[in-house]
Order: sequence, then C-alpha cells, then structure tokens
Amino acid sequence: MNVSKSNFKTLDRRRFLCGTGWALALPLFESFSISKAWAGATSPNPKRLGCFYFPDGVPMPLPKDPAYQDWAWFPHGDGADFDLTKCMEPLKPLRNDFTVISGLSHVAGRNVHGHNNADQFLTGAATGSGDMDYQNTISLDQLYAKQIGDETRFASLVMSTDGGAGTARGAHTISFNRHGRAIPAENRPKRIFDRLFVKNDADAARRLSFSESALDDLLEDTRRLRKRLSSHDQASLDEYLQSVREAELRVQKAKQWINTPLPSVNGDHLNLEITPDEPRVYLQTMFELIYLAFKTDSTRVATYQIGRENGVGISDHLSRAIGFPNAHQLSHETKSPNGWENFGRYCRFLHEEYGRFITRLRETPEPAGEGSLLDNTMLLFGSASSAFHLSRNYPLILAGGQNMGLNHGKYLNHAGTKAYRGGWKPGDPEPWTKQAAQEDLPLSNLFVSILQRLGVETESFADSTGPLEGV
Amino acid sequence: MIVIDMGNWARMYWLIPALFIWIVPVNAATGELSLEELKVAGARQSVLRNQAQSESGVEIPQPKLDQFREEIRPLLTTHCVPCHGPEKAKARIRVDELDPNLLEGTDVDWWLEIMAVLGNGEMPPPDESELTGEDRGKIIDWLSGEMRMASMRRRAMGGHSSFRRMTRYEYNYALQDLLGLPWEFARDLPPEAHSEDGFQNSSETLHMSVAQLETYRSLARKALRRATVRGPRPPVLYWGVSMEQRGQIEWKKQNAQFEETRKKFKDDPEKHEEELERLLAESLKPRSRAYFKARSSGKTVPHSWSYSGAKYAHKPSLTAPQIPEPGDHIAVLPPGWNQKLVVELGEKLPDEGMLRVRVRAAGRVSDGYRTPSLQLEFGWQASNEGRALLPVGGEDQAITAKPDAPEFYQWDVPLGDIYPRNSVRKSSPLGSMPNPSEHIRLVNSSASRGEVQIDYVEVSAPVYDEWPPASHRRIFFESPNSQNESVYAQEILSTFMTRAWRREIAADEVDRKIRLFRSMRKVSETFEEAIIEVLATVLSSPDFLYVVGEQVVEHDAAADLEIPVAAERLSDHELATRLALFLWCSVPDERLLSLANQGQLKHSSTLLSEVRRMLEDTRSERFARHFVRQWLDMQLLDFVKTDRKLNPLLKQAMQREPVLFFQELLRRDESVLSFIHSDYTVVDERLAFHYGIPKVYGNHFRLVKLSPNHRRGGVLTQAGLLAMNSSGEDSNPLKRGIWMLESLLNDPPPPPPPAVPEIDLADPEIAKMSLKERIEDHRNHAACLSCHIKIDPWGIAFENYDARGSWRDEIKGKPVDASSLLFNNEPLNGMDGLKRFLLENRQDQFVRALVHKMCVFALGRPLSFADRAGVDEIAAQVRREGDGLATLVERVATSELFLSK
Repeated sequence: MNVSKSNFKTLDRRRFLCGTGWALALPLFESFSISKAWAGATSPNPKRLGCFYFPDGVPMPLPKDPAYQDWAWFPHGDGADFDLTKCMEPLKPLRNDFTVISGLSHVAGRNVHGHNNADQFLTGAATGSGDMDYQNTISLDQLYAKQIGDETRFASLVMSTDGGAGTARGAHTISFNRHGRAIPAENRPKRIFDRLFVKNDADAARRLSFSESALDDLLEDTRRLRKRLSSHDQASLDEYLQSVREAELRVQKAKQWINTPLPSVNGDHLNLEITPDEPRVYLQTMFELIYLAFKTDSTRVATYQIGRENGVGISDHLSRAIGFPNAHQLSHETKSPNGWENFGRYCRFLHEEYGRFITRLRETPEPAGEGSLLDNTMLLFGSASSAFHLSRNYPLILAGGQNMGLNHGKYLNHAGTKAYRGGWKPGDPEPWTKQAAQEDLPLSNLFVSILQRLGVETESFADSTGPLEGV
Repeated sequence: MIVIDMGNWARMYWLIPALFIWIVPVNAATGELSLEELKVAGARQSVLRNQAQSESGVEIPQPKLDQFREEIRPLLTTHCVPCHGPEKAKARIRVDELDPNLLEGTDVDWWLEIMAVLGNGEMPPPDESELTGEDRGKIIDWLSGEMRMASMRRRAMGGHSSFRRMTRYEYNYALQDLLGLPWEFARDLPPEAHSEDGFQNSSETLHMSVAQLETYRSLARKALRRATVRGPRPPVLYWGVSMEQRGQIEWKKQNAQFEETRKKFKDDPEKHEEELERLLAESLKPRSRAYFKARSSGKTVPHSWSYSGAKYAHKPSLTAPQIPEPGDHIAVLPPGWNQKLVVELGEKLPDEGMLRVRVRAAGRVSDGYRTPSLQLEFGWQASNEGRALLPVGGEDQAITAKPDAPEFYQWDVPLGDIYPRNSVRKSSPLGSMPNPSEHIRLVNSSASRGEVQIDYVEVSAPVYDEWPPASHRRIFFESPNSQNESVYAQEILSTFMTRAWRREIAADEVDRKIRLFRSMRKVSETFEEAIIEVLATVLSSPDFLYVVGEQVVEHDAAADLEIPVAAERLSDHELATRLALFLWCSVPDERLLSLANQGQLKHSSTLLSEVRRMLEDTRSERFARHFVRQWLDMQLLDFVKTDRKLNPLLKQAMQREPVLFFQELLRRDESVLSFIHSDYTVVDERLAFHYGIPKVYGNHFRLVKLSPNHRRGGVLTQAGLLAMNSSGEDSNPLKRGIWMLESLLNDPPPPPPPAVPEIDLADPEIAKMSLKERIEDHRNHAACLSCHIKIDPWGIAFENYDARGSWRDEIKGKPVDASSLLFNNEPLNGMDGLKRFLLENRQDQFVRALVHKMCVFALGRPLSFADRAGVDEIAAQVRREGDGLATLVERVATSELFLSK
C-alpha cells in the first residue's frame, strides 16, 4: 500500500479551493457556508461516518438456556463492567474502542415484522409492512453527506453485498436520499476501486462540458415528453427528471475536483474480482475498500449493507464461510441441536471481519490530522431486529470517533433484564405482535448524538426526543 | 369447495387471489389411462373450452350485503356486539356500527382486525361466547371473499399504466439491435429487482436514480465508441504456436533431468543406464493430466504453466504465420475434469476488435459414438490475488476430426466483451510484477471419456473483416452530403433518432439535437466525436429509455387548448414497441416501424403475420430465455451452490433445459399441457447422464424421447427446477409445493408467516423422524395447519427427486414415501399421481395461469381485477384451438388486452 501523501493533505485541498476561488462555488453547494469553511480551517481532523447493517438479528437465548452464557449476543453486565460472549469475542482487543448499546429501536417500526425493517434502519421512517404506501426519508449517512459531501471527491460510498436498490421493504441498500429514494449500492469491488482510484478519462474537463450540455438537452427531452403523459405517468417520469437535476449538481461538483489528482493507491493486495462465493475474502475486500476510501479522504461517509433481510439473494449465503448454507435459516433453527451456537458463530464470523476493519483504522495514523483514522471515524454497526425478527432492542455497536468526544469501553444496557428473549412456540402470538414488557428508547436519539458529534447543528432526527444520554 | 381456516395469516390473506380449490370428481376408470391420454381426457372436461364464446365485458363486483344481513350479522350480534356494541364498546370498537360494504365503505381496516382475531381464535373469549367452528368459518369465508373483491377493486382503480423504463436486459438487446452488434452493453447497470409476480419488467419495480442515469450515459457512449472506429485500420498481431514451441519449457525441464543423471552417474555407466531407463519409462507412462507428446519417440511430458515472470508468453508477429504441417509434437488433453492447454499471449492484446482463435485439433475416443469437445477460456493473473478466468467461446466445439486428419476449429471473441481484462497490461512491463500478461485456455469439456489432441494454435487480433466495419457504416452511412457537416449531422441524427425513439421525430426535436451537436462540435476534435456525444444523449433520453404510453390529445380550436382524451387503444407505434419488447425484448425493427408509420400494424391479418415473423426470427430466443426464467423464477437456480456435488457444466445444462423445452413447444405449436407432462425433453450428454438416459453423446442439446421408466417429462421433473427448490443438501417439499402453486397454477399460498414455526430438532422424537414425518408433525400444530394443508401434499409428491433432481428410491435406507392426502383426503401418489391429478382436474387452471403470466410479461405490468376477463377470454380461445404454445403467444399478442392501453 502506498498512498501518495500530497494528495489528501487538507492543505492541498484548501489551496485548490482558494486557487479556483471557492466563493464561486457558494451558490452550487447547498450547505457550504463560510462559517464551516472556517471551522474546517481551524480543526485539521476530518470527521467520518461509517454505517453497517446485517440482517436477521442476533441470538437471544433465555437465561436458563445452556447457550445463554456463551452465545447470547449482548454482553453480560452493564456500564464499564461487562463481559463479551463468544459472539463478540473477536472484538475483545478493541474493548476500549467501542460501546455496545441495547434497548434502542425505531419507534415506527416496532410493531412491524423484522423482515421489513432494513429499509428504515438509518432513516427511522414508518416504512410499514404489506402493501401500504411506502415513503422513506433521508438516511443518517446521507444527511451527514449533505453537509460534508462537498469536502471530498465523493459525497458518500454506498455498498451492499446484494447490489442495486432492491425492492421496497427488501432494500439492497441502507442509504436513502433526501427524497427518500433508495440509493443503489455497489457490490462489485472492482467497480468501487476503479471509481475511487482509477482515472477513467484523460480529458475530464471536456467530458464535463459535454455533460453539462447533454443534461440540459435531456431536461428538455423530459419536459417535452412529460407534456404527452397522463398525470400518473408524469409522476413516474419525475424520477427521471429528478435524476437529471441531481446529475447536474454532480457535474457542478465534479468541476470543483477536476484539477485535483486522484490518490494513487495500489490495489495489488486485493482480489477485486472476488464475489460473495468466497464470503470471507469478499467481506475483507469490501471493508478494505472503505478503509482505503477513508484513508485517502476520497469520502467521509460510507455505508455497507452486509446482507438484505428475509433470507433471499446471495448475501444469505455468506454463512458458507463457516459451513452453513443459509444465514437466515440459522436465526430460525435456534432450537435445533447447537442452534444458538450456530447462529452465534455466524455473528462471530461477521465480528471477526468487522474487528479486522476497525483494527486497520486504529493502526493507521490520521494522514493530515491527529490520532488514528479510527479516532476520527464514527462507526455504527447493527441490525433492525433482535430476537426472532422482533423489531426492538436493536443490537448496536458504536465504535471509534474518540476525537469527536466519544468514550468507549462500556455497555449502555438500556434493555436490562426485561429484553425479550427466547424463541417462539407454535400457537403463541409471535414476538413482534406481543405487548412489550418495556418501551425502548428511540434509536433516532442516538442518531441525534451521532450527528451532533459529527458537527451537524441539529436537535432532532426523524422521531427523536433528544440526544441519547451517555454516548 | 373447501373452506380453510386461515389462522394467523388472515391479515395478509385478503391481498392475494382466491385460494379456493375446485375439485372435479375423479373417475376411477381414468386411473388406467396413460398421461398422454389424460391430456385428452382432461381437456374434455374443460370449462373454459366449452364456455360460450366471447361473452366479454367486465363483471363488476358487488358486495354481498344480503348474505351479510341474513347470515353474518346475526352471528356478530350474538357473539361480538354484547362486548363491542352500544353497551360496552370494549377496545373502543363497535362491531354493530361497521359498514358491511367493504368495496365502498371505509371500515376495511376494522374488518381486517376482526378477521385476524377470529382467525387466531383470540376472539370471542371462550368463556364469554360459544362461537362454533362452523360459524367462525362462515364469517371468515364471507369476509375473505369481500376482502378479495375490495382489494381487486382497489387495484383496478389505481390505473394500470405500462409506463416504465426498459429493463437491464431489454436495454442491452435494444443497443445490440440498434448498433447491429451482438455484444454485451449493459454490464454496468445494477441488478434489477423482481416484482411479487417474479417478473423483472414490471412497471412497479423499475425505478430511476441519478447513479442509474449516469450509468446509462456512460454505457451509451461506450457502446457507440465500440460500434464505430477512428483512424486507419489497426495492424493485426499474430501468434502461431506449434506444440513443439509450446512444450519447450516442459521438454527442457525433462532434458535437464536426463542431463543431470548423466552428470551424476558419469563414473557409473551401469547405474547411469538404470537411471536413464527409469526416466524413460517415466516419460512413456500414460498420463491422466494434460501433457505434450512427441509422437515419433512416444515420449511425453506433463503440461505446466505458471504466471510469474510471464515465462510461458509467446511473442506476436505482424505477419500471418506460415501454418506448419501437422508435426511430431501434440498437446493431449485427456478425458476428465478441467484438462487444459494454456497458451499465454503476453500483454499486447488490443482492447477492441475480434480475437480470433484457430486450433488444429482431433479427437480420440474409445468408441464411434462419442465426440469430445473443446471450450475456450480467457484468463490472466496479475498477482496472487488478482486474477480472472472467463468462459468466452460461447458454445463448445465438437471435435469430430480424427487423429490422422486434424482440422481447424475457430472461435471469434469480441475483445471488448471480455471483462475484466488484466488492468495492469498497459502499465506493468512484461516479465515483472504485477504480471500484465493474458492467456487463453483450451479446455477438454467432454462429458464422457474422450481425448482431445492439439498440434497448432493460431491467435490473431484485432481482426476486422471489413474496415470500417458495418456497425460504423450503419451510423456514418454514405451520403452525398458527408462533407457538409451540418447537413450530414442532420441526416445521421434523424435516421438514428427514428430507430431509437421508435416513432416519427418532429422537426424541432431534430433541430434541438443539431444545436447540441453544434455546441459539442466546438470542443470536439472531430465530427465523429461530436456526433457520438449527441447520439449518446439520444440513447440516454427518456424517449429511448422509457416505454411510453402517450396521452392522446385533441386540439380544441375554440379554447385553443390541447385536451387529453382517454384513449383505450395503443397507437401503431406504441403497438410496435410493445410487440418488440414482448417477443424480442428489444426495440422494433425497421419493418415494424414502417408498418406503424403506414398505420398498417393494427390490421389483424398484418398483426398476426408480424407476430409469426417475429417468432421465427432468432431474436425470439430472448423471449424464451427471459420469459421462462421469470415465469419459473429461475433466479433461484443461480444461487444453488455449485460444488463437487453439482458440476457447474451440469448446472448450466439444467439452466438451459427449461428454455430449450419451451422453444421446442413453441416451434411445434405443441400443447402447453406438455409443461405438465411430455414424452420428450431437450438435453445434452451431461443432463442425459444425470437422468439415466443412455446413448446421448456430446455437449450439444437435442430432443430425446422419454419412456416412463425415465420418470421425466414436463417441467415438474426438470432437474434444475427441482434443484433450485431444494435446500442444497436435501429436497425441500415446502419450496417445491409453493413453487408449483405459484409458478404453474398462479395460486400462491399466503405469504410466509412472519415467524415460521420451527421444527424442534432438539426434541429427540422429532430428530428421529423422516423429513416427510417432520413436516406432517409440524402441520399438526393448529397454527400451521391451514397453510400447510394447501402446500405439503404437492411438495411431498416430489420426494422421489433428491436435492440435485436425481431419482431416488430410498432415503437413508428407508424407501421413499411420496404419497400424501390432499385437502379432500384424496390420495396423491408421487410425481405420477401429481401429474395425473393436474391433467385430470387442473388443466383450465394451468392454462389460465400460463396466460396470466404471459400477459404480465407481455404488458410489463401486474394484472388487476379489470384484466381478468381478458385473460379468461384468451385462455378460452387457446383451449378451443388445441392448447398450442404458439397459439397462446399469438392469442396474447392479438388480444384486446394487448392492444389496449
């Protein structure tokens, strides 16, 4: 790995902005304000955000179950005094770099079956179930990208194992734009790498000028076509119209970056053609790409949906890494012999690879700032269900971000002993339909805290009631 | 009619079409008939076929308010209203005030709650009321019927627009047809989602985003640049590789061993002789892996290859090599898995143009029937991790030549289609790391034992049969005005836009593109470059990407306003596009467009002859491929793990069989009932072996007659479809049953319950049970029964087929029990019994289901209640005309439904 240092130095970027006259850029960037530009000048540390999602929840055996001690996902204990189970054991060396949180969930999704809920993990929207109208809202990462996106070549990096946008309530992405529309995720490492680090066109400036006039022309085509459509079809075409407008904004932004050389990154240590057929190496590669993107300051926002919900698609087979054909099935077969353990071993596998990624960040000094990459990167890892697709008590790990004021090495056990545990017996009402023994805190409160730490001036997110205490 | 307790799933139940099942009494005597005879006998019972013709018109659903007043209200009054009425109104619900008109009323949500609590047995509380099972069923039955109609009404009112963008595969074919190049153009588009019906071309699921739009723009530019050329014809590089050259490194190694022996034992002639003999014997030993052979001496040496240092790379020349006479040295690819010859070509292969590979080869087989075959792969390895190996040659080549008279076999591969290429081939020098070199592999892909011998390999690239190629001249055609840029641009643009946008183009539309051309020309080096930019914009425009149903407007002269008119029928141009998307998955050709221009296409005789022409065109293979794949939900097969248990080439054959079988039925206009059972199938040697059909040799697919002892016929027994509905390790009766109900009968069971009750394998009693017993045990739970009783018997009938779709008589030493009782307690006995049942009782349902699925595909949108009459009409016609598959396609393409908005 050699990253040429001059490329990502904040100084260089700022010189570039001055050189081209960033005042010109003001009308183009919604959120770029003078005060922030000055704030950026006083603090050299970038603030990054990475969000990760895995489906199907986590093992929640009852305390009397023999598997409870070893294979319950949540740690035993509270505060600074807690023990990680075998599920999270791979993260032990990082104990002081993360916080486990229980007892949080999105309010609107609590009575919805967990299979539907990946779509709202980062948005908190009432995306519901069945065939109800579906309207999502902006996701946490994109809200931050709106503010910070113009600081880097790429506003955000959106990845998933399954790729594309997926379907409503079966999203293949956890990122949603300001219109609540799914942002298609990239699942091919080669494409991600090329986009980040490989210059694809020598005369990019000319390209942009082509793009500008082409987009103008497409806008004209669209307006003309729109007139000939019924109002129902016009609404569908508006997606296209919106896309052209966003593409125009991107062109404006790309113009800003045109004269900044791409970071030079050697990808020799990566097999960029890897597919999820080789699950472990695939996960490693995807995590490594985020690491490289952060390290080179190509973006400060990344999401990766490790798997989609409902056990369909290629991501469900990631469990082949540890010899199980389907990951989702593991969450159902907890009553089979070694059921909890098998499910726990799958979680453990994810934590091994996630832990490797965190370690990489921790061991890399911030290129143009203080501390490590990890100190300047806030990482949220979780799922939108806990026991048996119950959309409560999300399993959550918040890591990194020490330079943003986070203190770790603790377990914020908001669920306590009343968390729902155990499986479900035929004849009983399903866990998600049951009256909960206690109400969770809104997950959006944690998002407010995260946003505030990232420097976003906000008091609320979705249905939040305030920041989360103790983060 | 069986009324089913809907249990926990009542909440979702109302959203899906009827689940009620009609039972036609079975004539005991028909048990004697063969399956073929049953097709005929069953058809006689067809209600659709005998239905009075053309009683078209949409039946307007009416709420069953009389039934409510007479039967339902009294029950509610007795059992619910005491607590949820004027006196108590517990849970703040008053059942007596709910509007029983579910179609128009506003209380549907409350009724859903009621249906749920009744279905779950949560209400009424047992100690408060004694609602009998029968009465409970009555209320649920009434409610579910009303719910169903209400939901259909809702869908019907939602409008049924087919306005959508093209799918990824349609986009690819459209570019292929516009540019006249059968290449891959859509690779960078994200994967498409599947609608609930399993279709990818559904208007509901096809969205647009900025990333997608940007991808379209860059794909269009790339495609246009690939279709056109710049500058003079590039020089061709040639590699002529005899096996003597290719084996040099290997022979050298062997000679070195001889040399070493001589040195080592130069003082001990006896020992030397002994050692030499051992080495010689070693070199003459038969080999099971690829090797080189000197025919005169009979000596052999194992084939080897490694990437580091590009030591095996051959140098190209700029002149065509002299083809040597068949020489002494050959490469031998013995039978067996993955025996290959690697020919390394270095880093100089160009980006575009044709890669031509010619191989002089012969086959050697033990008997006269078998034919070995050869596959071409392209690969590279830059470092330990970065590498690729891609099948590029298309169909396998059957090597029919004999060793005494080897022949040339040729592959043409468009270099631009090879993805990924070695990304360091232009930056890293040959011989260094990362390794920039690329290679081809010739693989013995014979299914049965057969040896391939190769004595000469010739590679050339870039090969252009013409310069500039036809695809270039298609865009930059000859014109007297070619020197006048703006006139020529106008000609090119209006020609291209008409094809791409599939309609007549207004003058102001061309003008605007000319203006775009002018502005782009200013910053372009050449005329061609600017044109390509503009054409890329034409191909990124909504006019190209979207399937447009235009609003018809009338000009009101008095008010000087354009007033939208509700048009029922498609315009000619819309029809041309719908036809092309249906049967070619692409844009209309010039003939369709010119018929549309002349207003001819809608004439029924023209339309029918166009449909037939389109089906005869090879482009209709796309229809077969994509319709069958989506109809049978074959994406599931993609995810079936290919491991040692499932040879990837066998899996490929499994993927092709249903499509080829469909094409065969289509070509012969054979009865669609053959999907349920047929006495032939289409297989290659691998699949035939898998099925236990002897004497099918070679890797090409052909029609093979089946006899009953093969236990195959129709899609139900096709290995791929059985394998994809398995768990990977064992059969999965549940998946198979659901798949059959959904795909073949369009009778989907309720969606999976939110939390599927587990089979408790920790219970030792359960662990001992067979899969079938476990399922039955599981079904005995009240919560599971209502759903499973509809699914399990169907799935259990498949039990004689294992996870890979092979026949089995035993499972773990116990005989297979593939029998079960249907909901009406009628026994269903294995696959044969299942086919018999379907052919006796379900012909109409199957034909209607297939028509329904094909209409969803043809219209590119989900069907609603309003479409049901149309589907029934087509199904009835198809049945009356003998159930032919081509007839069905024709009937769909000429139906009111298809011709309407």
